[in-house]
Amino acid sequence: MKKILIVDDEQDIVESLKFVLETADFTCYCAYNGEDGLRLAKEIVPDLIILDVMMPKINGYKISRLLKYDAKYKNIPILMVTARSQEEDKLIGEETGADEYITKPFELDEVVKTVEKYLK
Amino acid sequence: MIKILFISKNNSQISKFKNIFGKNLYDFSCISDDTLLIDTINVSAPDIIFLDAEIPNLKDINKKIKQICENTIIIFLVNEKVDKELVKFANAFVTLDMPEDLIISTVNVNLRMKNALEMLSSSNKDLADSLYRLNALYDTSSRFAGTLDKDKLIQYMIEGMDKALSFSLTSTLSLCSDEPVLILNSLYELSDELISALKFRCVLNFNSAFEGKTLDIDTLKVIKQVKYPASRFTFTLFQYDNMFAKISLGDTDFGFVEIFKETSFTPEDATCFQTIAQQVALPLKSATLYQELIETNAKLEKLERLKSEFISIVSHELRTPLTSIKNSLDILGSGRCGEVTQSAEKFLSMAMRNVQRLSGIINDLLDLSKIEAGKMDFNFTSANINTVIGYVKTALSEVAKSKGLNLITQEAENLPETKFDAQRLEQVLTNLVSNAIKFTSEGKTITISSELVNASDIKINEIFKPEIKNLSGDYIQVCVADEGIGIDTKDLLRAFDKFAQIENSLSRKAGGTGLGLPIAKQLLEAHKGAIWCDSELNKGSKFYFIIPLV
Repeated sequence: MKKILIVDDEQDIVESLKFVLETADFTCYCAYNGEDGLRLAKEIVPDLIILDVMMPKINGYKISRLLKYDAKYKNIPILMVTARSQEEDKLIGEETGADEYITKPFELDEVVKTVEKYLK
Repeated sequence: MIKILFISKNNSQISKFKNIFGKNLYDFSCISDDTLLIDTINVSAPDIIFLDAEIPNLKDINKKIKQICENTIIIFLVNEKVDKELVKFANAFVTLDMPEDLIISTVNVNLRMKNALEMLSSSNKDLADSLYRLNALYDTSSRFAGTLDKDKLIQYMIEGMDKALSFSLTSTLSLCSDEPVLILNSLYELSDELISALKFRCVLNFNSAFEGKTLDIDTLKVIKQVKYPASRFTFTLFQYDNMFAKISLGDTDFGFVEIFKETSFTPEDATCFQTIAQQVALPLKSATLYQELIETNAKLEKLERLKSEFISIVSHELRTPLTSIKNSLDILGSGRCGEVTQSAEKFLSMAMRNVQRLSGIINDLLDLSKIEAGKMDFNFTSANINTVIGYVKTALSEVAKSKGLNLITQEAENLPETKFDAQRLEQVLTNLVSNAIKFTSEGKTITISSELVNASDIKINEIFKPEIKNLSGDYIQVCVADEGIGIDTKDLLRAFDKFAQIENSLSRKAGGTGLGLPIAKQLLEAHKGAIWCDSELNKGSKFYFIIPLV
């Protein structure tokens, strides 16, 4: 089974994503802050990461850059979840290395479809 | 009395002239020793000097006399034969044997001439003075016109007064800064005691000039500018002639200026002084207004920025919980948590619909705050507007059909391509067509049309004329015409205002944020285009937008 890492400080969102992805037969790992997210990503080397942008300490943008610059992890697809705040827009304006952007509020089915597209 | 000095060594001559001029009209004196000459002239400053040509070194003596008193008339006393050299620098000659009458008349003629010359030179001097002063006034007022800095204006006023009146000291109270400042411009150094006295005098002046206001002497700031610090003023300064003027315009007081001078001021000085003090008031007022304008502007800008930031933060904070709600509804609705009954389905879809609506409002708010903050990015590419019309028709024809409406297009053929942001114009057109669908009842038709127009041929409702008055050249025009409820003429302009919802209850029933049209307006402004509408109550509305052909 393919492994998906979900990183978001909003537990409810993690919960719902985990539910639909597990229903679609993926194994989910969850992290609720940037530090844990980065640690888990290196530990389990998932097949795909769903990453929130705005998080305390290490934001999603930093995590994405750290992973994409590392040869060991650079092939892991990253779906970046954004709430389109001005701050985020600024970050996204720069090179984040993310493969896909998902705007809040998103359609769960769309997320599942996108994940499947990368993990076929 | 006319002072006559007679210089001769010849006693008989002396006595002859003493006889002629020793009478009441004249003050006659004579010397025979030319070593005393200079001292005598210095003391008595004679009007007329008779110089005996027999005296040696005549030329040197003549030169010396001229050096001391330029305007003194020199008459040479000669024998019949006149030395040609002497003619060059004498005012007149008398001969030894000349009759008394002739000698007196020679003196009188020369006296009259002297008086006339003196008058001429004095009025010449007055004229030069006036000219100089006029020049100083002109200079000062042109300098006033060149700045909106209040401290500079006060400085220019003082400098102008110095130029025109050459004062010994000015004591200027300026109320133009945050706190009152006493500016002392002095020729010579001022002792601490004298400065204290001037401060005290300033407070007294203040109390009499501005009744009801108070000035605190202890906190009064003093700026001292001394021209020649090597010398010192004493308290005799207060015995100098002085003038005082308030600097104010209408209700606004900018301070006052007091000026001291060792010699007395003339009425012309007073006029000049008052003129400068009055002249500075107007630019000071303008500067004050200008400053207020700048401050208000800065405040408004800050407010606008805060508003945008606020909207952005709030939207972001709203999005996250909204996502969780939506996700939960999605999961419940998908039946993954158990079967959904028919009545549960109804309420789930109600919740979904409203989540969608809320998310639409947030998107609109974000768009608007982004455009207003100038942070919206546009992607201008060459394309045909009919493509956009095609997309919108495809996307909305189902919705129209479900309401029993007929959505048709009338696209102009061979429409040239132009540069625009297709995604943004699709947003605009979608909004216009959605509105038309909302406000049109079953069985009616909605038409989307396109055509090429020239700015000068555009027929537009009078109230929207200002929107296109600066446009010229060719434009692509898109029109969405419906047969709906229409908009009252008095509400037409407000349709593009933020949050303006014409007939509130109806608009709420039909859904929408009231932000669609204001956003459309901003988006078209970014395209250097325009948007307007034409409508008749109960007949229908026509919304037009144009983008330039480039």
